Amino acid sequence: MNSIENKIRKPLAAAIVLLSATALPVMAQDAPVVPETPEHIAGKDPYPFEMRDFRGFEDPEPPIELPDSVTPRLSMLTAEQIEFLQSDAARRFTGGLEDTVTELEERSPTEILAWVEAMQDIVNRTRYDEDRDDSHIALNTDSTKFNAWRLRRPRSMDPEREPGPIQLGRYNGRGGPPTFGGFPLALTPEDLEAGEVDVAIVGAPLNMGSGWRDSGAQATVDMRVHGRALGGSDQYVQIDAGRVLNIVDYGDVAIDNASTERSMEHVREVVREIAETGAVPIIIGGDHSLEYPNVAGLADVYGKEQLSVIHFDSHYDAWWGSRHLISHGAPVYRLLNEGHVRPADYIQVGLRSSGPDEQAFKWMREVGMRFHTMAEVEQRGWDAVIDRVVAEASEEGRKLHISFDIDVIDPAFTTATGTPVPGGLNMRESITIVRRLCAESNVVSFDLVELHPALDPTYVSTLNSAFIVKACLTGLAMREEGLTDPHYLSPIASEHAVDDFYGDQQEFLDRTAELEAEQEEEAEDEDDEIEED
Amino acid sequence: MIISKLNKLAAAVSLTSGLLLTVISNSAAAAEFSTDWQLPENLTAKVQLLSAEQQVFIYSGAFMDFIPAQQLEHELAMRDAGDLATMFADLMAVAEQMGYDPERDMGAMPLNTTANDFNSGIILPPLLRDETREPGPFSVHRYLFPESGVPTFAGAKVAIWPEDLVAGDVDVAIVGVPNDMGSGRRNAEYGPRVMRALDTLALPDVDSLIDPREVLSIVDYGDFTIDNMSTELTVDHVTEMVAETAGTGAVPMLVGGDTSMLYPGVKGVAQTHGYGEFGLVHFSAHPDSDRDAVHTISDSQALFLLLDEGIVAGQDMITVGLRGPAVDAETLQWFREQKVRYHTMAEIGRSGYDRVLDRVLQEAGAGPDKLFVSIDVSVIEPSEMVAAGRIAANGLSVQEVASGIRQLCADKEIVGFEITDMAPMLDFSRLSAVNANTVLNACLVGIALREAGLSGDYVHPLAIDHGQD
Repeated sequence: MNSIENKIRKPLAAAIVLLSATALPVMAQDAPVVPETPEHIAGKDPYPFEMRDFRGFEDPEPPIELPDSVTPRLSMLTAEQIEFLQSDAARRFTGGLEDTVTELEERSPTEILAWVEAMQDIVNRTRYDEDRDDSHIALNTDSTKFNAWRLRRPRSMDPEREPGPIQLGRYNGRGGPPTFGGFPLALTPEDLEAGEVDVAIVGAPLNMGSGWRDSGAQATVDMRVHGRALGGSDQYVQIDAGRVLNIVDYGDVAIDNASTERSMEHVREVVREIAETGAVPIIIGGDHSLEYPNVAGLADVYGKEQLSVIHFDSHYDAWWGSRHLISHGAPVYRLLNEGHVRPADYIQVGLRSSGPDEQAFKWMREVGMRFHTMAEVEQRGWDAVIDRVVAEASEEGRKLHISFDIDVIDPAFTTATGTPVPGGLNMRESITIVRRLCAESNVVSFDLVELHPALDPTYVSTLNSAFIVKACLTGLAMREEGLTDPHYLSPIASEHAVDDFYGDQQEFLDRTAELEAEQEEEAEDEDDEIEED
Repeated sequence: MIISKLNKLAAAVSLTSGLLLTVISNSAAAAEFSTDWQLPENLTAKVQLLSAEQQVFIYSGAFMDFIPAQQLEHELAMRDAGDLATMFADLMAVAEQMGYDPERDMGAMPLNTTANDFNSGIILPPLLRDETREPGPFSVHRYLFPESGVPTFAGAKVAIWPEDLVAGDVDVAIVGVPNDMGSGRRNAEYGPRVMRALDTLALPDVDSLIDPREVLSIVDYGDFTIDNMSTELTVDHVTEMVAETAGTGAVPMLVGGDTSMLYPGVKGVAQTHGYGEFGLVHFSAHPDSDRDAVHTISDSQALFLLLDEGIVAGQDMITVGLRGPAVDAETLQWFREQKVRYHTMAEIGRSGYDRVLDRVLQEAGAGPDKLFVSIDVSVIEPSEMVAAGRIAANGLSVQEVASGIRQLCADKEIVGFEITDMAPMLDFSRLSAVNANTVLNACLVGIALREAGLSGDYVHPLAIDHGQD
């Protein structure tokens, strides 16, 4: 029984008894606002895009030709059954031509009939049959709390406040409940707009993918509790992102951890609402299914085929062919399939898991995806690859989303991930490439996924994940400050210049002085502005 | 849906002005549905400033799903009329969005119907198996007295097909159900693997000095396949496999996996032994009785589904150790109406575990001869079971749970056993897995005691006293 209905049933009955003679008008309700996206799946709609793998990975092999010598043995089979026996579908039971002939020679015609019927039965039961199988996973639509998981708390329930970021601590923002990097909290798009927020960090505790389940759902909280490294100054470039940009913790997105598919639309909605204010969403996962709603949400704002994506991962995540339309192995395929991103605008870095196989690589090459495997790194060296990636990412100044699966990093540094693969990037390489991309390319969004803190009791994985996010925040701040030269590093942080050991002492002294002068000028300008006001 | 009913009511209210409100607020019915909440006299004036719909929202108690009564009273006292009207308009707008709307909400999750392996868990018939061995359980070891090797439950032989169970005249088939969709912390999918990896199962029992391996024919029956992206798509196959296993005469002992698998576990046994033909004793901190869930199956509704479908009769269901966050008056009242014998930690705290266990044994004794015993490891005290997926403080000791299970498994004809929701990755010491095996072992010992013609409280004379004085 549902609780609200229980609560109102009795008085409702009382009212109806009292007024049974009176016709009761039903008051009209305002229709809820639904964002217009063509892919929105309501009710029991089927998936509105092609489901069969457009790569033809599952296309059947040509039939085998059985020799005349076995024809007498097939006497009990119908023409259709003989066709089945020669078809690709029978290969998984019978092997190739030679094996099939051997198997046939061992059996009498009656035995062959039973044997083929058994195969046909298995094939039939395995594939979808609309008379027998459901095309959907049903939900209990009678539940009175159907949408409870994603209902937003009305602002009017809390004391009135002006929109804008909220400091939770009493000591200049410190001393409150932990937030991402100690940044202030924002709860609504109005807060983002009022605070002229540049970056909104939001958690998405999706816990459905990966080999080890726990605790993708814990990651967003642990990144707040143990991830203080996420804020603060970066010595390499002498920038404190928090002083240059307005950064907020945008809370967590509601997730239904019993269904990835059901969670997708809501994540997309929240990413869209952040991007619409002009802020850069930084999404902390959760598993890698999130790349799909993240990029789709951005495409809702910036338009289809307007974004490039860099996918840092040891896996290529363009897998397809499961009965589920989304999982942490499929976001790339689904984004391409729905036309949010062109294949040529997909750049993958760090691939080294057991897939893609040759067929998948061939497909990626044909459609023009840019992939940078660890095999390429072994051939060319990391520095060459990093320059190539940054150049590709910066083409035409295109808007860029970075999807960073922490399993691209070597498991020595991020033990706590669902599907670790050895031979990955070290932290120095990872931080540098993320900082460079966020400074030198037009990054409009970033996600960090697949952190499972329970797998690492030392918290090092969480710490390192926080440093990756910090590298992007630093890069975004550098871009804001105009420090976008290739691989910019602070002159004073990179050379003591007390002597002329490398023969370029003066250059570093000059650059430091230049920077100082610029900063003084800026400070004066600001003073003037204040005076003018 | 609810709001439209409220609106009808509100329309009625506006027609009859204050009369109806008086009827509602004073009626016995009002007290019954809203846990005795009454609007304090001094706030009625404030409420009268609100619209008719809003007044019904308050008087009917419908507000309670969104704001606690004490908070409501505070807001009524502190806010002015305009503020209150805004807040209630917002709350009622939220209430309107709570239920399902086919125009707005995804009512079912679409699947890829072109997937070549759309239906999982398809098992090859003997005709298509590439097998050269005769049916029967077989060892995975090279040595006569192996110390290690491929891990199996209880170090037992392996059986793969029901023909193996029949040929081996198997008494107990231990099988993994590594489903991992639980509502708490996850990793239960590794439960079966790690419980196999630790050599702490099927050990001799110090009370009776009985070694279950010497009395029973036990096998490791592998794992049943699951879809860890959907419990819904897992349930039917597990049910079918459990029914088939039980049909061979072996007792299925299921190792989860999360507690949603209790539903197919018990249902499968019922398909063989009959609906309502056996009792269920469930050790758990959680009532698993959500009557209004959005998903059709989850770990928070296993008991509800078993009762709702008549798989186990209410009076034959006993649940021990309740204390989790879902234990509320409404749920206990519902249990009571279903005639479920529930034993909370409150009862155990007052009466002591021994007395409550006696009561449980009596209740089970009065029930059907056949019994299914299940344990969600959350019932155990977290210091002994850190790896419980839905952990709950202040539980029973492993010794207490094991002694209860040992007696139940000896006293009754066990038709099934299930242990769920041990998530090994959450316990780096692996103690939780050792204790999970201890509990499972207790039932093996119990079944062995019964087989040997001994009662559940039997103690071997040599074990209880050295006899030197």
